[in-house]
Amino acid sequence: MAIKIPTLPEQLPAAKPRFVGKEVKRVEDPGLVSGSAEFIDNLSLPGMLHCAILRSPHPHARVAKVDTRAAEALPGVIAVLTGEDVRRWSNPAYTAPEGWGAYCIAVDKVRFVGEPVAAVAAVSRYVAEEALELIEVEYDVLKPVPTPAVAMAANAPVLFEQHGGNVIQSRVYNWGEVDRVFAEADHVVQNTFRWNRVGANPTETFGCICQWDLSDNSLTCRGSYQTPRFWAMARALALNLPTNKVRVISHPMGGGFGGKGGPRGTDIAALLSRKSGGRPVKYIEDRMEYLLAGFGQSWDRYYDAALAVKADGTVTGLKVKLIDDQGAGTEGWGTISVAKPLAAFTGSYRIEAAQYDTVLVATNRAPTGPYRGYGPPPHFLVLESLMDMAARKLDIDPAELRRRNYIRPEQFPYTIPSGNEYDSGNYEAVLDKVLAMSDYRGLRESQARWRAEGRLIGIGVVSTVEPGVFDWNAYATVGVQGIGVPEGAKLAFDMLGSLTVVVGFNLQGQGQFTVAAQVAADYWGLDLSAVKVASAPTDIGPPSFGQGGSRLGVAITGAVLGACEKLKAIFCQVVAHLMQTTPDQVELMDGRLRLKANPQVGMSLAEVAGTMLGRSDLLPPGMEPCPEATFVWTAEGRNMPDDQGRCRSYLTAANATHVVMVEIDRDTGCTEILKYFIVDDCGTRLNLANVEGQLQGALAQGVGAALYEEYVYNDEAQPLVTTFVDYLMPTIHEVPMATKDFVITPSPVAPLGAKGCGEGAIHTTPAAVLCAINDALAPLGVEITETPASPHRVWKTLRQAREG
Amino acid sequence: MTTKQRICVTVNGVRHEREVEPRLTLADFLRHELALGGTHVGCEHGICGVCTVMIDGRSARSCIALAVQADGCQVTTVEGLRDRATGHLHPIQQAFVEAHGLQCGFCTPGFMMTTLELLTENAEPSDEAIKEALGGNLCRCTGYEAIIASVRLAAQRLREQKNA
Amino acid sequence: MKPANFDYHAPQTLAEAVELMVRLEEEGVDAKILAGGQSLMPMLAMRVARPEVLVDLGRIKSLDYVRQEGGVIAVGAMTSKRAAEESVLIEQQQPLFHAATKLVGHRQIRNRGSVGGSFAHADPASEYPAVALVLDMAFKAVGPEGERTIPATDFFVTYMTTSLESTEVLTEVRLPIMPAGTGWAIQEFARRNGDLALAGVAMTLKVADGVCADARLAAFGVNATAVRLTAAEDFLAGKRPERAMLEQAAALAAGSLDEPMSCVHASADYRRHLIRVLAERCLAEAVGRAA
Repeated sequence: MAIKIPTLPEQLPAAKPRFVGKEVKRVEDPGLVSGSAEFIDNLSLPGMLHCAILRSPHPHARVAKVDTRAAEALPGVIAVLTGEDVRRWSNPAYTAPEGWGAYCIAVDKVRFVGEPVAAVAAVSRYVAEEALELIEVEYDVLKPVPTPAVAMAANAPVLFEQHGGNVIQSRVYNWGEVDRVFAEADHVVQNTFRWNRVGANPTETFGCICQWDLSDNSLTCRGSYQTPRFWAMARALALNLPTNKVRVISHPMGGGFGGKGGPRGTDIAALLSRKSGGRPVKYIEDRMEYLLAGFGQSWDRYYDAALAVKADGTVTGLKVKLIDDQGAGTEGWGTISVAKPLAAFTGSYRIEAAQYDTVLVATNRAPTGPYRGYGPPPHFLVLESLMDMAARKLDIDPAELRRRNYIRPEQFPYTIPSGNEYDSGNYEAVLDKVLAMSDYRGLRESQARWRAEGRLIGIGVVSTVEPGVFDWNAYATVGVQGIGVPEGAKLAFDMLGSLTVVVGFNLQGQGQFTVAAQVAADYWGLDLSAVKVASAPTDIGPPSFGQGGSRLGVAITGAVLGACEKLKAIFCQVVAHLMQTTPDQVELMDGRLRLKANPQVGMSLAEVAGTMLGRSDLLPPGMEPCPEATFVWTAEGRNMPDDQGRCRSYLTAANATHVVMVEIDRDTGCTEILKYFIVDDCGTRLNLANVEGQLQGALAQGVGAALYEEYVYNDEAQPLVTTFVDYLMPTIHEVPMATKDFVITPSPVAPLGAKGCGEGAIHTTPAAVLCAINDALAPLGVEITETPASPHRVWKTLRQAREG
Repeated sequence: MTTKQRICVTVNGVRHEREVEPRLTLADFLRHELALGGTHVGCEHGICGVCTVMIDGRSARSCIALAVQADGCQVTTVEGLRDRATGHLHPIQQAFVEAHGLQCGFCTPGFMMTTLELLTENAEPSDEAIKEALGGNLCRCTGYEAIIASVRLAAQRLREQKNA
Repeated sequence: MKPANFDYHAPQTLAEAVELMVRLEEEGVDAKILAGGQSLMPMLAMRVARPEVLVDLGRIKSLDYVRQEGGVIAVGAMTSKRAAEESVLIEQQQPLFHAATKLVGHRQIRNRGSVGGSFAHADPASEYPAVALVLDMAFKAVGPEGERTIPATDFFVTYMTTSLESTEVLTEVRLPIMPAGTGWAIQEFARRNGDLALAGVAMTLKVADGVCADARLAAFGVNATAVRLTAAEDFLAGKRPERAMLEQAAALAAGSLDEPMSCVHASADYRRHLIRVLAERCLAEAVGRAA
């Protein structure tokens, strides 16, 4: 049976959808505001022990000896885990590319400050930490590799000996006739950029409770898991367990944003459970551990990039050379952040040819992890900065330059040089709307006036594309396998017609339970509060990925609708049989199964489900008494990449233009954001408040990356930013309240026409803020090409202007 | 071996007597001794504000308070906001739901406790006053806009309740 | 991290506290006073401080007061910063101290943080010690020998170190009432609202017969302790409070500093520069306030 997923809300079997696209209260919220939501650290299990991890103070060293006897003797300590145990009982992390991972506890050497070297399970975290101080570790310190330059120099110390060098991957992609367009360009604008490490930092750090069942060699992990099934598989492979013997139960998460560490913590807790005779072991990563080693570090980049431009402002080519400091290996899947830009490499523009020269390097910094955006945010900073440079060179207004180069509405679906296909868009409409909303002309007039008074005022107008609904093929060129990201939902009616939607993930903040409930409620004509959404553990739930790659709102909508369609077909069969007609004569509308020819005649959902479960004698022959259906959704039309990585990967392409006005204090170098405007287009907006929340939240993270956040390492690869005193998360005072509006260009290929939008503003905000800063500095002939544009950095740059 | 201390703390109107190690933080005491898990821990070094509770009517970071310091004190946590008699959410909780002032919800109890203090002192706070009061609470999800809207709404609701 | 283990005492009276400190000293026990805990507890949580004993002054009711004594406002050391902030007496009679109090952290920190704590803790980025130097505050301490009064100039020794003996308890801070017509200002530069200052200036001055007099400036956040900017003070004496003069004074202030500290957020150079900027801005503000 071919399932046809509705591609617009109008196609739902409801005269007027009450919930999809409307302002609704989230079903998740009452539990969250009551404080009763069970974040993992709120759970205690009988006999539970607490884990603490001893971490390396050295960035690069051999582990000569680990003496745990004193720790083991401390009252309250039940088990101590060392590299020896781990070598015996587990495998190094699976990575892409292969072979750049390590065991969960350092076996022969440590490669970053914070790497686990031993772990303790004790009756309390307090006692476990006491025990750590009794563990004696002997290190043979090795020369550290603090940066890619050192890593790639001749005779550099090698992190992973089996590879013989520190370059993880070096690869050049060539798309279109890049050399020709650059040769034929009237202008080439070129610059170098440095994006310093930033990271997710959800307010809840990672946590888990692991319990190893020695009687049947199985493992249950409960915790703050963003992608539970993926985790379960990876843990099984790491811990040498049959893959159907690992069960992951995902708890509500206090944020994730991709960068929530967990593999090492999980494996350590699991093995401690094994070593303590199967007692549950809880590991709650604390903030300092997170900052050091918790996958909370991302995007450590050196860029050299250029744009080929014609005299009339047409941008014909983009060249990007990237040296990416992955840190001490790729166990955190930081390589994906280098591949993902392929999905939107040339952004909103008709650029015909591009080149991407990538070098991924291992250093003795922490292994990088995923962070919202997963690569494009720094990439767009580069692209949009080059666009502004071109605008200045050609003396064209930056908004106008973008307009001239946008992909035109009639060109969609549009295949970009790096191979992905954008589904739909109307970039000019978005630009027009934001220019009007911001009174762009007025802003420029104010800028001119204030500049005449000596103030440093800048305006940024920046456009980006947010690739949404990821697929694995986007990352094939860094060694990730596969196509298809199954996301399943089971819809089940009980005898009285109450509906439960079962999904394979848990809450992380984006409101997917509410989205699932909205879709199901409108489909079946139910009240929102009548739909129950339940999260299933990985061993019994449907195939699922969970949050990530701006996909879940769309994917779960597709899954729910698919299950709805299946169930509708079954219900129509039941009703047809009971009314002695054929299923094509029966329709679902506003929660009733009725005869098309005579809509007064019909049955309620309760009647149908009740019949199926309670009166099997009345059912069509051969029909299962099962008012339930599961549908697993993945984007159609994906394909294998060619030798340049080109493929249809991310299904949807959302678009946004931000306009921002900043003022730089000449004396202190401090940047103040005076005004911020956003117009975005993510197709059908399934839940208005959700989308707005994602925008404003991602904006805040973008401001953090642009102006405040930075993980600093010294020349010995020692981390200098290790607490929230120095890692500067934006507070309410630092985040501008953006004026927002939107355009809706539905996706022709995605469920209900919705596009992925969860990463959104973080793609755009750092570029917008830096472009505005450089617009302010342009009259002085200086620029900032390093993030964050901290007051200190800006002040140093301003000094150059005075001295130069 | 350190000497345990006997303490008596009233939490959400209920008296609790316990023996605790001096170094037990108030946050851990509430969460694990008393199983009141609504107060969360985000940094454990007194910066993020996720652990905010009220101690004797004043907002405080419970991760850098010791349980022994709370001996003899009245502590209010998020669990104490709901109307005990009717089970209804407190107007502040209700406002956060209606104005979408939360996404993951982890920082929300801390924000609501600070809001409780603010609105007790100032029934009609300006946006500036709201920002000034909430500057010590971090949120990573919302970008704060909806939180400000929630506090405004809560202030309005409480004023209406008072006038009614 | 969880704090390392410690023993805990909560004396009910000042005499008990002193007796306890004396005994612990004799036993060679490493003891620290716990006041509001807003500075000490994070250090314990990060395990950068590991005292064997904490002596909690929180039960001593006699150290919580704000009262006028002649030309001085006497503030009990355990008075919360919140109470100090809300004190009308302080707001009206010692506005520089009031302004400094409001700059401290966030409301939760001020709710529990004690007035005395910031002085005893002597963090170089703290506003209070700079204000103490500018106002020539005095500190009362009680030890086994009895009570003594320590002038601000003798109180701050070096990085996080005061002249308080290990057996002494800071009991009171004394703020001179600000004479009418005094100009004052305090400004700081921090990365985020409420963060520890990377650099700051506090000051008072008078303008009499059209010229500056009694200029007192102190910098904080730049050296191991807050420091008086005497080069600027001397320069200003007898000068007209015009822009050029104020700018020169600020330049002198910055130039006269010992090499400032350096950290991930600010180099020594930048800090020195910030002092010049803040001094200039404070001078303009203070002159504006001077009657």
